[in-house]
Amino acid sequence: MSERTIELYIGPQHPGSGHMRFDITLDGDIIVKAEPSIGYVHRSVEKIAETKTYIQIAPLVERPSLADTVNPNLGYILALEKLLGIEAPPRAQYLRTLAAEANRIHSHFYGIGILGIMLGSSTAFMWAFADREIMIELLQMLTGARITYSYVIPGGVRRDLPVGFKEAAEKALRYLERRLKDYEKLFFENPVTVARLKGVGVLKKEDAIALGIVGPNLRASGVHYDVRRIEPYAAYDDLDFEVVVKKEGDSYARLMARVEEIKQSMRIIRQVLEKIPDGPILHEKYYKMIPPKTRKQIEETGRLKFPAAFATLKPPKGEALSRVEGARGEFLYYVVSDGSPRPYRFRMVSPSFRNVWLFAHLLPGHRLADIPAIYGSIDYFPPCADR
Amino acid sequence: MQVSEIISWLINLLFYKPEVFCPIFYPGLVTILALLIFIIWLERKIAAKVQLRYGPLYVTRKAGGILQLLADLLRYMFQEPIIPKTVDKIAFIAGPVLLFATAYVPAALLPATAEFTGLRSELSLLAVLALLTLAPIFDIIIGWGSNNKFSLIGSMREGYIVMSYEIPMFLSTLAIAMVYGSLNIVEIVEMQSRCWGILLNPIAAATFLLVALISTARFPFEIAEAETEIVMGPYTEYSGILYGLLMGASYVKFYVLSMLFALLFLGGWHPSITWLEKIHPAAPGLVVFIKALIIMVFGIFLRAVYPRFRVDQAIRVGWHLLFMLSMLSIAYSLAVIWLVG
Amino acid sequence: MELPKRVVHHIEALLTGAKYLVAKPRMTVMYPEEAQILPEGYRGMPKFNREKCRSCSLCARICPANAIKMYTVEVEGEKKKKYPGINYNRCIFCGFCVDICPAGALEFTDIHDYASYSLEDLVFKPDRFAEGPPPRPFKPKLVKPMLDEEVGLKYVPG
Ligand code: SF4
Ligand code: SF4
Repeated sequence: MSERTIELYIGPQHPGSGHMRFDITLDGDIIVKAEPSIGYVHRSVEKIAETKTYIQIAPLVERPSLADTVNPNLGYILALEKLLGIEAPPRAQYLRTLAAEANRIHSHFYGIGILGIMLGSSTAFMWAFADREIMIELLQMLTGARITYSYVIPGGVRRDLPVGFKEAAEKALRYLERRLKDYEKLFFENPVTVARLKGVGVLKKEDAIALGIVGPNLRASGVHYDVRRIEPYAAYDDLDFEVVVKKEGDSYARLMARVEEIKQSMRIIRQVLEKIPDGPILHEKYYKMIPPKTRKQIEETGRLKFPAAFATLKPPKGEALSRVEGARGEFLYYVVSDGSPRPYRFRMVSPSFRNVWLFAHLLPGHRLADIPAIYGSIDYFPPCADR
Repeated sequence: MQVSEIISWLINLLFYKPEVFCPIFYPGLVTILALLIFIIWLERKIAAKVQLRYGPLYVTRKAGGILQLLADLLRYMFQEPIIPKTVDKIAFIAGPVLLFATAYVPAALLPATAEFTGLRSELSLLAVLALLTLAPIFDIIIGWGSNNKFSLIGSMREGYIVMSYEIPMFLSTLAIAMVYGSLNIVEIVEMQSRCWGILLNPIAAATFLLVALISTARFPFEIAEAETEIVMGPYTEYSGILYGLLMGASYVKFYVLSMLFALLFLGGWHPSITWLEKIHPAAPGLVVFIKALIIMVFGIFLRAVYPRFRVDQAIRVGWHLLFMLSMLSIAYSLAVIWLVG
Repeated sequence: MELPKRVVHHIEALLTGAKYLVAKPRMTVMYPEEAQILPEGYRGMPKFNREKCRSCSLCARICPANAIKMYTVEVEGEKKKKYPGINYNRCIFCGFCVDICPAGALEFTDIHDYASYSLEDLVFKPDRFAEGPPPRPFKPKLVKPMLDEEVGLKYVPG
């Protein structure tokens, strides 16, 4: 440490740090070095998973990532289905897509809100959190829970579309479309917001690839990469949507990439509700295990009952890898089964863990006041990184 | 008889002597305290309304929670003001008190009406301006005295910002003073009975308004206290009543600047409502107060609209925009004098 | 951004703010004085029905949070039976226990906000589990959230 610089510890108890710490070295107002120090909310998902049965891991993996829960859940179940050698029926695939996209919308609103409050716009924060509620309410209709849905299960999904869902969804989407215009005027195009974000924290295309950045942050740097396109899962193959790519790579591009993705997700939801095929929502193999009387009840209520086998799922020996495009980026799961009811090894790579390097890479050379701008624009979520 | 004489003498002194009434009641301390309670409540309410919320509500629910700030004030009073071991005690304690006091003193010098004014001087405008520049010094002192990196960074920011807005502030007020050829606030107001200052020199008015927003840390210039960056800036280590004073100080300053704006640019107590004088000699001054209040409401409404600038951007606004504007306003004044005479 | 465009954006932002200052909508539900009517199938705190239970222990085995434990209960005139009890402190409302129960002995309530003075109080043995979590000690005004095109969420008194 030279005499010119001072060291600043931001977090873990700091209004702008989240559950993490930055060790910042400052020269005047310019950041010379920034070290993100993670691990303050580590909860050992991977190790705990080795002590749980396969079905019990489904709620576990959605815990780290508060805003984005369907996607991690879906990713894990895809790996498990590979181990079990089954695939969900088409209707379930569509429902998974629906839940994942609705979740993507509310997760992006969450990110926009956090960016808003970090820049000091309490209105953007409150608005985004209020409008997030719309999608939460919609998903609550579908799944029965507000945030931690545990909606995707091996071989299908837990609930069918409730009555009146399509109309409610259409209303919600129209409302959000109208609201986005107001966001644009008050926040996205507000000259102060633009001044704070444009040209700040530019991530070059090559760097983004070299650092292994994922999700909207990667696409905002001009890389056309989206797991939904590259390795389609659920119903994404049948659906028409654009992968949002921005060239600039600055904080503003990252914000606007999320906004565009919200619009694309709305498009997907509309298509899903349009095209969704009829049929069962659980794989035959398991559906047959349910007693006939219960099956009738399921058909009436649209709410699934599990077969007893779920309590003791024993996939054959083997390993499986799966990826999904979460709201913040790619989730990767690697599960090894030794034929027992519990995984031998469970690996979960979350998007925030891969994006955390951005702090060390982007912050130096910027001003102290750019920390919140860059932090917010990355949509970084400490628990998601710590797992 | 003795007692009643003393009482009537006291009443006369308190209510009918402008030298006493102005500092204590209007536009001084009492008005300021009442206004503080009201304006912070209103700020929260306005922000809440724009943000689809209710804002403070539970204290005096029927009145929309208007006494919330009184409750907060009580809390600040009884909360233990924690004084960390590592601070410079004198600076730490005296800072907030002096900051609040220096923010308040200029208010005492403002005239209520033409006849009723605490300070009768040919140079009253200069006096007010000079006192206004005192307060930021204490901001820097408390930042230094707090012995905390965040506080220090916050007060350094404050220092930079002060340097960038003070010159435009002086220039724009002088521009308007030039038009009227006077540095006496009362005289300036009297001359506005026909034409408001904002019409005579709109550039100076715009500059002064922006300066008022910057110097009192309204959004988008709430930079020295930027929460997500430097916690509470200079105020990081404060709690209890000392913090309450600090928080109030910027509102007091905003009040003084709004009053000044109303006096210099919005015609002061014109159009004067003469029958009010029967109630109290200072009552026609309410017109000024209402005008100032409108300015303040606009200022607090900005919180609901804007994020905050970065400090370098604010300084750029100061030097590139405001400094230019204030020079322009001087030129404009010269042109007006040359044209109208 | 050129200056005129920037000025336009400033004005637009201010007008939008002003629009919401006078517009009607508010998102707040005045909880706990008002409470939402939850949709059918809401995954609240599970409740137990002793008559239906077959003592199969599936609920305890699937519970990801180890919230359910089987207790041995003496039943009059019969031999000892095992019934589930719950620790609401641990429950994560995943609803797996309800969904796997083959006898329909577990069901969701719409209570999600039961609070207690002690941690032990949240451990419900089978008999208390059968009563379910106690209802709210006061009666809030109930409102039903409806998705709406104009204001997003409308809370209709119901
Ligand atoms: S809802 Fe989930 S966590 Fe709660 S008792 Fe049932 S299985 Fe366990
Ligand atoms: S409650 Fe249901 S799952 Fe649990 S032991 Fe009884 S019958 Fe089995």
